[in-house]
Amino acid sequence: MNEPCKCSVKELSQQLKDKKISVRELTEVFLKRIKSEADKTNSFLTVCDQLAFKQAEAAQKIIDSGNGSVLTGIPFGIKDNICTQNVKTTCASKMLEDFIPPYNATVVERLLKNNIVILGKNNMDEFAMGGSSQTSYFGGVKNPYNLSCVTGGSSGGSAAAVAAGLCPVSLGSDTGGSVRQPASFCGVTGLKPTYGAVSRYGLIAFASSLDQIGPIARSAEDCGIVLSAIAGKDANDSTSQHVSDVDYCSKLGNSLKGLTIGLPKEFFDDGVDNDVKTAVLDAAKRYEEMGCTIKQVSLPSLKFAVASYYLISSAEAASNLSRYDGIKFGYRSTNGETYEEIIQNTRVEAFGDEVKRRIMLGNYALSSGYYDAYYNKAVKIKARIKDEYNQIFKTCDCILTPTAPTVAYKIGQQENDPVKMYTSDICTVTVNIAGLPAISTTCGYDKSGMPIGMSIVGRAFDEATIISVADAFEKNFERKGAEI
Amino acid sequence: MSAYNMVIGLEIHAEMLTNSKVFCTCNAEFGGDENTRVCPRCSGLPGTLPVFNQGAARLAVKAGFALDCEINNYSAFDRKNYFYPDLPKAYQITQFSYPICTNGFVDIGNKKIRINRIHIEEDAGKLVHDDYEGVSNADYNRCGVPLIEIVTEPDIRSAEEARALVEQIAIRLKYAGVCDSRMEQGSLRCDVNISVMRPEDTEFGTRTEIKNLNSLKSIVRAIEYEYERQTGLLDRGGKVVQQTLHFNENHGTTKPLRSKEEAHDYRYFPEPDIPPVFLTDEVIADIKSEMPEMPNDRKTRYVEQYGLSEVDAALLVSDKDLSDFYDESVKVYPAYKQISNMIIVELLRRLNDSSTPIKDLKFSPESLAQLVKLSDEKTVSKNAAKDILFIMFEQGGNPVEIAKENGFIMTTDSSAVESAADEILVANQKAVDEYKQGSAKVFGFLMGQMCKKLGKSANPQIIREVLTDKLNKL
Repeated sequence: MNEPCKCSVKELSQQLKDKKISVRELTEVFLKRIKSEADKTNSFLTVCDQLAFKQAEAAQKIIDSGNGSVLTGIPFGIKDNICTQNVKTTCASKMLEDFIPPYNATVVERLLKNNIVILGKNNMDEFAMGGSSQTSYFGGVKNPYNLSCVTGGSSGGSAAAVAAGLCPVSLGSDTGGSVRQPASFCGVTGLKPTYGAVSRYGLIAFASSLDQIGPIARSAEDCGIVLSAIAGKDANDSTSQHVSDVDYCSKLGNSLKGLTIGLPKEFFDDGVDNDVKTAVLDAAKRYEEMGCTIKQVSLPSLKFAVASYYLISSAEAASNLSRYDGIKFGYRSTNGETYEEIIQNTRVEAFGDEVKRRIMLGNYALSSGYYDAYYNKAVKIKARIKDEYNQIFKTCDCILTPTAPTVAYKIGQQENDPVKMYTSDICTVTVNIAGLPAISTTCGYDKSGMPIGMSIVGRAFDEATIISVADAFEKNFERKGAEI
Repeated sequence: MSAYNMVIGLEIHAEMLTNSKVFCTCNAEFGGDENTRVCPRCSGLPGTLPVFNQGAARLAVKAGFALDCEINNYSAFDRKNYFYPDLPKAYQITQFSYPICTNGFVDIGNKKIRINRIHIEEDAGKLVHDDYEGVSNADYNRCGVPLIEIVTEPDIRSAEEARALVEQIAIRLKYAGVCDSRMEQGSLRCDVNISVMRPEDTEFGTRTEIKNLNSLKSIVRAIEYEYERQTGLLDRGGKVVQQTLHFNENHGTTKPLRSKEEAHDYRYFPEPDIPPVFLTDEVIADIKSEMPEMPNDRKTRYVEQYGLSEVDAALLVSDKDLSDFYDESVKVYPAYKQISNMIIVELLRRLNDSSTPIKDLKFSPESLAQLVKLSDEKTVSKNAAKDILFIMFEQGGNPVEIAKENGFIMTTDSSAVESAADEILVANQKAVDEYKQGSAKVFGFLMGQMCKKLGKSANPQIIREVLTDKLNKL
């Protein structure tokens, strides 16, 4: 039997079913690891021991009665912007430092129906704004492959926790790459579902038209298992779609013969590190060997993507974050007499710099006189990018790109340079803009042993295909373990 | 010097009569203890999302039909962003670019006022200022109550026209079941945009906006005051400044809101959490088929089919509850004119005298119909009918029982009348003599004596016959 901290969800599920380990023991293993190791990466903000043991007990009963699902008893981490009833949900912000939601997010509700065990809440960039997980009010997250490197973000705590074996799977959220890029930096697998596939109810909004919740795990198959449990129409989220009882693992093991994979040339230009390019192109070769056709394609509007993404996401964020005014919940400044002063001081004191930057950018883009030049133009680019993807999918079944232009970089190296930070989202943002599903998995390591990620982008609601494509690669690829 | 014309456009906010709020399932009714009708959604807790109440769309479409609008197959929501403590999300969800109804009109008698648009939006909460404690408290019960905003074209030229328009819109919305139109509770509120211009001018003057007027009287007073203020300003060589004003009910004057309160850039953008509203032609036709009779149609029915006068018909339809009461009554007993008379002459007087809303009446339309029938069939006298109505009004009850209990049923047994007549004639010899000498006047005196003796159960017709008969035989 493999050590639980190195096992996939699927393997752990089998062990639980075969009674090789009890849910309580499994929970203990991970909680112990979190206690001794989590500080190294700063990947957990809240650990829910008591709740976890209670859930473990309930899960064990279900397993003993023979009624469990594949997720019953599986320990989870949850990104700290996903609401958990009676458990602090901070968004890694001073603003919500003591916020305890009176409700569960729909995804949490659906996982709890499967009797999972919630170990705790994962650190992240404040309000999910950032690509390094260094903007957290509670301190940055460190990469288990090299503790002096960033994890990527914003779901850096989730990715680091999975990579460090502190939980087998975690839910993250992805607005412009926030699941895929940290998965790539931390050498694990992350799935961003189609917009509308998973309910956003209970996900504390960053950019409503782009946000999606997705799993970060040790394998594509695990991502498929989790997605199958959380996807589908939710009456609480009007933008969620019917995907009646899809088994996202249904295509696993199918031959990839005859599949056409597009390589958009714009994703392999000078802005991308050579190591990354080489690893992704090597992966393309592997797919060719598996019988796939590799096709050179083009996404000409990629050059406008980052600008479009930051205008739309910041505009929505500026509006979404306006509710943090100190009046009803969250932090309230004690400075000021009038409501204007209270609102202003609350926001000045409790938002971090990056959040403020986005709010200013978003409000600027929406201001009268600038709306047409910025927000409106960004929306037009969004339509164009969607069109260009549709064109590609006329001849391709999926698309292969790097997940990020580089591997994880040193903490402090570029987080203070917003333009550089924003530009490095180039490989991930178009997927959110077009609302498509994408999965990132490790395809190699650079000279210093840092993981390189590749992304497989699929047609809307065709997660089953990209999961099987990623899985086929993973089956023939040896992952290196993290340092801790 | 008042050689100015006024130009007025209105923005009317009406709360729609849905059971639940527009983006959550909280009770949308007026009232309730502070913050008891709130949930994570309408108080804007992090992570919650709005879910559109389709019932609100149906009511808004009905408002559109009531004001002769075009109904749009496609409408969509936007966010209007501004900070205020009564607005939990710090944005109001509204329809900015794609309203649900457009291009309507309302006939106010002498002219048609064009309706530019009707759109759906959510109401905000309320701040309750406690000057004694020096604090402001927020009550979010009203947060998320569905509103329609009705925007007129600047077609109004007098305070009287504005009043007539608001009155007409209020009553139509009430008939359509969209809004209870109770201005005193704030379920119908009005913003007035007003400017003045010389008759020879081709362009409108600079306008001001008077916010949140909540009675017909305030609308008229505010317009009249603002007209005087603007024309006075111009006559003195001044200029009207475009600004938002508050009308002070106590002083009858307008005052600018603090500049901070109006210096808003609302930064509208499409609401990403709510998909656009698509209404197929079938759905629109279905809603149309549910449209109740509008006041004008009802008035026509009263005049043409029921034979009521224009004045009476107009009076009845001016209050939907009254008109509904009338309709229910004539369903039971189709004596259209008599029932109309009983309502207009007798009932309305009592309602007005006691300031009782018709909804609080202690008796049913069926009872009123029965009462009129008793009177028509001469089971009770006309005077007795009025007395019975009074008892019903005070205590409720069934008219037949009341008539019986109080001895109002007119007797048809002439033997009692005859013996009474004999006694009266003997006791009043002098009057009899005068009658014989040709004095018709004295007959009334004798009738009166008879009635006094016989009480209310006496049928005046029979008394008259018996008395005449006896007198002639003497």
